Amino acid sequence: MRTGHLKTSPGQLVALSDSPAVWAWVGALAVGLILLPYLVGNYMLTLVVSAMAAVIGAVALNMLTGQTGLISLGQSGFLAVGAYANAILLSDYGLPVWLTLPAAGLTATGISLIVGVPSLRLKGLYLAITTLAFSFIISHIILYSEGLTHGPNGIFVKGARLFGYDVQRGWPLYYLALALTAGTILAALNLTRTRIGRAWIAIRDHDIAARAMGIDLVRYKLLAFAVSSFFVGIAGALMSLQLRFVNVDVFGLILSIEALAMIILGGMGSVAGAVLGAIFLSFLPEVLRIGFSLVTDPNSTFYTNYVYEIRGIAYGLVIVVFLRFKPDGLVGMWRDAKKYWSNWPLAY
Amino acid sequence: MDFLVLLIATGLVAGATYGLIAIGFALIYKATGVVNFAQGELVMLTAYIGYSLAGAFGLTFIPLLLVAVPISMAVGLVLERIFIRPMLGEPPFAIVMVTVGLAVILRGLIIVVWGSQPANFDAGIPTTVIRLGNVPFYPAQLIMIAALGLVVLAMWAFMRFSRYGIAMRAVAANETAALLTGVSVSRIHALAWVLSSGIAAIAGMLFAANFKLAPDLWFQGLKSFPAVILGGMDSIVGAAVGGIAIGLIESLSQGYIGEGMREIAGFIVIILVLMVRPYGLFGSRDIERV
Repeated sequence: MRTGHLKTSPGQLVALSDSPAVWAWVGALAVGLILLPYLVGNYMLTLVVSAMAAVIGAVALNMLTGQTGLISLGQSGFLAVGAYANAILLSDYGLPVWLTLPAAGLTATGISLIVGVPSLRLKGLYLAITTLAFSFIISHIILYSEGLTHGPNGIFVKGARLFGYDVQRGWPLYYLALALTAGTILAALNLTRTRIGRAWIAIRDHDIAARAMGIDLVRYKLLAFAVSSFFVGIAGALMSLQLRFVNVDVFGLILSIEALAMIILGGMGSVAGAVLGAIFLSFLPEVLRIGFSLVTDPNSTFYTNYVYEIRGIAYGLVIVVFLRFKPDGLVGMWRDAKKYWSNWPLAY
Repeated sequence: MDFLVLLIATGLVAGATYGLIAIGFALIYKATGVVNFAQGELVMLTAYIGYSLAGAFGLTFIPLLLVAVPISMAVGLVLERIFIRPMLGEPPFAIVMVTVGLAVILRGLIIVVWGSQPANFDAGIPTTVIRLGNVPFYPAQLIMIAALGLVVLAMWAFMRFSRYGIAMRAVAANETAALLTGVSVSRIHALAWVLSSGIAAIAGMLFAANFKLAPDLWFQGLKSFPAVILGGMDSIVGAAVGGIAIGLIESLSQGYIGEGMREIAGFIVIILVLMVRPYGLFGSRDIERV
């Protein structure tokens, strides 16, 4: 175990990590991710891009639910807003993609302020139900305002070009997703260490006490909603780029539950946890598919018939099992393992 | 005028469904302090159990109730034992998330077991139209409204006179104090789940008899949230009144405002209610101390 955390300058106190090993691994990971399109096939690349959209969404939800303690079941609503904003601006108005991505985030932010205002008076479960109600209202509005959203027909997303490359497929999409994901994670890590991040954590731990300490609850709760939904909106936009078609049915309640399952699996309140949880849950359906093909005979259609149900059951089991046995999530397990090995053979 | 009467009639029937489901929510919230996000799935599961029982034994409505309700209660007890009991003492957020997890699991399992095709299930109720004044009703619709009244009455009597009902109110008021006077809190928690599943069975089978039995029945659980919130989460009479009110609001807004309003009118109402009275219309206001 490392001892003697001697800091000699204020800069060291706020550094993201003071361990050379961590930086070395991050560097290796970055090189690996940059080289990935040369190493794996297109199918794998598609999976990785979906996982990255999930990572952005989970990191964003973690700001709201994990750090500020505002439980949101409205993730699918914000994703839908982001995806639709991106799709409409790209396909119907022909704006360039470097403009539509931030615009999608800002649209989600604008809508989140409408949801955020009633949430200021609500806590815990009431807030969960309000955000749930909001996501239903959003999909209703999308379905019935046909002039803008093409209603039940959905929108084909096309014409996203960046530096002359079509960023809706292959490696250009991958690098765009990589840049967005890295940016989101960096922003989340940095926010956590500022006054804003500390205020959020104080609100989560006890809002009345936080208020007594001079934290403006209205401001910081709204800020949590705004920042979180900005990134969720971007995740939605990324999804719309990858799927190339948006429709209300894509953004069902299961997406909100999936996002919550991700941050619970990873460990609530930790950025690394949200990233890990999102990666694990995004690859879970793939693992299940391979698992089922090993166990059942090749002609069995059980998995393909019930693919959504099996996924749902798996998410549910992940939530239940982790809350019951490992409430600190994957990050907690990693911390325990690290502690065990650094004290080995004298653990305990 | 006829149009209005018809809207009110459909609103009452839908409202009775919401009321019955909402009573299940309120019962569990009152006794255990947990919002059971799996209530809609419980309703769906018990309806499917009733469907299988009716199919296997060809029962009519009353015998079906007598068989399906106790079985559903047993299912509720098992679910409580496996999923909720081990979480005793954990923060409410964790327990609520467990019910969310349970909800997704049940939703998937029901489709895997019973298939995704909707089924017709009349629960042994005749389908001859009865006219009250000049409003036509199906018997299942009238039974739904009657069931809501009977369940509210039974729950009121239970809470007022039964030893267990009084214990449940004591647990709701102050869990620690109830424990100190010798009430077995964990048994009361289990009892709340058992009763709630029984009510869910009644609601589920009647809903299936009125509309159809399909694996999207769980959505009725979410649509009953407005009723619970309007009623104040922990009030059983409030849940029933809230259910009727939401049913009427949905039906009238569908009729007079526009197509599709039925789907979201209730959710708009709860957002408005929560902005004005965050603890519901009949709910008790918590005082918080630091």
